[in-house]
Amino acid sequence: MSVLEIRGLTKTFPGVTALEDVSLSAEAGEIHGLVGENGAGKSTLVKILAGVHRPSAGSFLIDGRERRFGSPKDASELVGVVHQERELVPHFTGWENLFLGLEPTYAGFLKKREMRATAMRFLETYGRGLDIDMGAPAHTLSSGQQEMLTIMKVLFRNPKIIIFDEPTAPLSIRECEILFALVRDLKQKGLAILYISHHLEEVLSLCDRISVLRNGRYVATVDAAATKEADLIRLMISRDMKEQYPKLPCRAGDIVFAAEGYASARDRLRDISFNIRSGEIVGFAGLVGAGRTELAEALFTGSSRDAGTVRLKGRDFLSHSPKDSIRQGMVMIPENRREHGLLTQMSVYENLILPQLEGLSSIGFLRWRAADRQVRSAVERLSIKVASPSQSVSTLSGGNQQKVSVGKWFGLPAALWIFDEPTQGIDVDAKRELYDIMGHLAQDGAAVWFISSDLRELLAIADRLYVMKDRKIVGECVPPFNPDGVLGMMMGEKTA
Amino acid sequence: MSDENGTLRKHEGGHNILMRFGTIMALAAIVAWLSVTVPGFIEGQNVLNILRQIALLAIISEGFTMCLIVGELDLAFPNVASLAGAIVAGLIFGGMHPFAASLIALSVGVLFGVGAGLLVTKVGIPSLITTLASGIIAGGLIYMYTKGVSFYGKLPESFLLLGRGNVGPVPALVFIMFVVVVAAQVMISCTRPGKYMQATGANPAAARLAGVNTDRYKILALTLSGLAAAFTGILLTARLGSANPEGAAGFMMDGFASALLGMTVLSMGRANPFGTFIGSLMIGIINNGMTLAGSPYYMQDITKGIIIILSVALTSWQTKRSER
Repeated sequence: MSVLEIRGLTKTFPGVTALEDVSLSAEAGEIHGLVGENGAGKSTLVKILAGVHRPSAGSFLIDGRERRFGSPKDASELVGVVHQERELVPHFTGWENLFLGLEPTYAGFLKKREMRATAMRFLETYGRGLDIDMGAPAHTLSSGQQEMLTIMKVLFRNPKIIIFDEPTAPLSIRECEILFALVRDLKQKGLAILYISHHLEEVLSLCDRISVLRNGRYVATVDAAATKEADLIRLMISRDMKEQYPKLPCRAGDIVFAAEGYASARDRLRDISFNIRSGEIVGFAGLVGAGRTELAEALFTGSSRDAGTVRLKGRDFLSHSPKDSIRQGMVMIPENRREHGLLTQMSVYENLILPQLEGLSSIGFLRWRAADRQVRSAVERLSIKVASPSQSVSTLSGGNQQKVSVGKWFGLPAALWIFDEPTQGIDVDAKRELYDIMGHLAQDGAAVWFISSDLRELLAIADRLYVMKDRKIVGECVPPFNPDGVLGMMMGEKTA
Repeated sequence: MSDENGTLRKHEGGHNILMRFGTIMALAAIVAWLSVTVPGFIEGQNVLNILRQIALLAIISEGFTMCLIVGELDLAFPNVASLAGAIVAGLIFGGMHPFAASLIALSVGVLFGVGAGLLVTKVGIPSLITTLASGIIAGGLIYMYTKGVSFYGKLPESFLLLGRGNVGPVPALVFIMFVVVVAAQVMISCTRPGKYMQATGANPAAARLAGVNTDRYKILALTLSGLAAAFTGILLTARLGSANPEGAAGFMMDGFASALLGMTVLSMGRANPFGTFIGSLMIGIINNGMTLAGSPYYMQDITKGIIIILSVALTSWQTKRSER
């Protein structure tokens, strides 16, 4: 008997069918992958299982009994969900987070000693080898440790089924390995695991079976051992993918941006020397925490500089704020588009004109016609899918949001474009479009600085690579790239 | 979660109307009910009367609205208004020309705003605390300046016209109010500083990375709030012909209520000058209608509270339902 059996599950929202007649099952001791593009219905399915949404039709059985959850709390005893957003109270310690909502009390007082001891024992049993300080406030843990703590918190509720929703997004390679070991360990313990990820290789190596959703419908369940990545992609998207990483031909010109011996004590960066030419996409590889984002942010936001020279377009680059940097021709598409790249509650229109307002207004008043033109041209050039530009950005898919985050810089005389993890959390098609956007920028003579944790896309798209480790640049690579060599440098081995 | 909600919101059209216009519909319902039940409510003279009664509230609330737009709070505005009202009266009684006295009173308001703005942005004290403290200081200054007594006396006719005069059939105060409301709305929706203020409130981190000097626009908003408060204080003195140390204290609750009701008008959850005007109007209409109907004073407060909860609940409930 399957632990989880989903029968014809359908969920309609006013005007859209998010999930239509989906049936699948998961066994005890199975890691069951769930893949599909953004909008394929994965999140809706998870939310139904987690008691957030109620199904419009169909049902699901856990341990052979039909379940109807009235709220996430109802569900939490049977179904544990490890969300992308970690649900920890930052100032609570590990054990306080572990017990959140289940605290044992005596006459109204928390039994703290018992909680602490139980937490330690629990970590001993389930999280052997995990380096989590249960006594430390959650916000002092690294992002990897926080994720592990979140998993422990979910496990502590002793669910039958555990769902991982994009668990590796915030993790470094080493932390991913720890996570995979943990997931396999849970499998050994007999849990049914539903594993959702955009990283297909990860899904293929970890899962036993994989179910594919497309446009809210169930497509197929395949045996992971007998499936190749290309097969999965073919199932996920309706048409065949000619190429996953389109690379436009560009010719490198003069040096646009150059840093020589740059160091910043505040950002703990040192020995930074690199350059980017016009027409060139320069990749930055490194582990999480290697300092790639920090370097880009320090330069863009005009953080303190303690040593070295930085030149942009042949002139000394001096900046005290993003505003200064933009004026000198540097723009950035930040890593976290919802928090830093966009004004999510505001409209596409407002987002697209925000950095341009100086050019689009006279004596302070907006010139609507010029703004309309600007918005129309950005929407067309990037083929942003919107019903109307007055639509709120929060209603767009991840890929279209990212395009808005790029398009807001169009119309400014930008010479250096920094893309920080631009393809994170967007679907396969949107990724291809983004590579094209970067390629077109380079073809038009821009210098493109491309930070990514997806080594394959970096190797495929970049014209040249710098590798960072421990907040230093440790190497430069030119094509043909040697993936093992790059990886070695990232991990700190002496080979080049 | 973005995608499911995303495709969802594109299609919500129908009850979106309730979300956007819920408060205005509630206002229309109240007006309709009062027109039928209260004789004389809908007469032209009474309409002008209502507008005159809400003029000061609307002006001071527009200042507070600016703070909400950049994501800050201002608790100091009632005391700043009282202080400005006392200063203008004191200076005029001391023999100063009303125009010069008004300018000085306005600068005091600006000073409070700039000071709070600098503390919030450069020192990093939350605006709630900063303006609570600056409001207390303003309260202390009032008593220092007035020794706790009201300023009564003969104010020049030219000054009193500001609060009591008419432009044709329209009271000067109503005229001033419309100028302020329109100017505020135009600034927010049609000018660069207005857009930058909205961006600052919507997401300060993203706005900064897009090249907006967010500190400057927070200071601007708090300054405008101080300016609006001082202006209201001056108008209050001109209307009453005297200055009372706590003259503007009543604007605290109604000012908050106007701006918060305003956040349910047109765009859910975003403060906007037009919405604030609707909020003030709603409060004015309830006060006026119930007074005409002969309800006791305390019933007005109770009704106001209930209506605020109802109209915000209606819009929040709609938002929540569409997300479930």
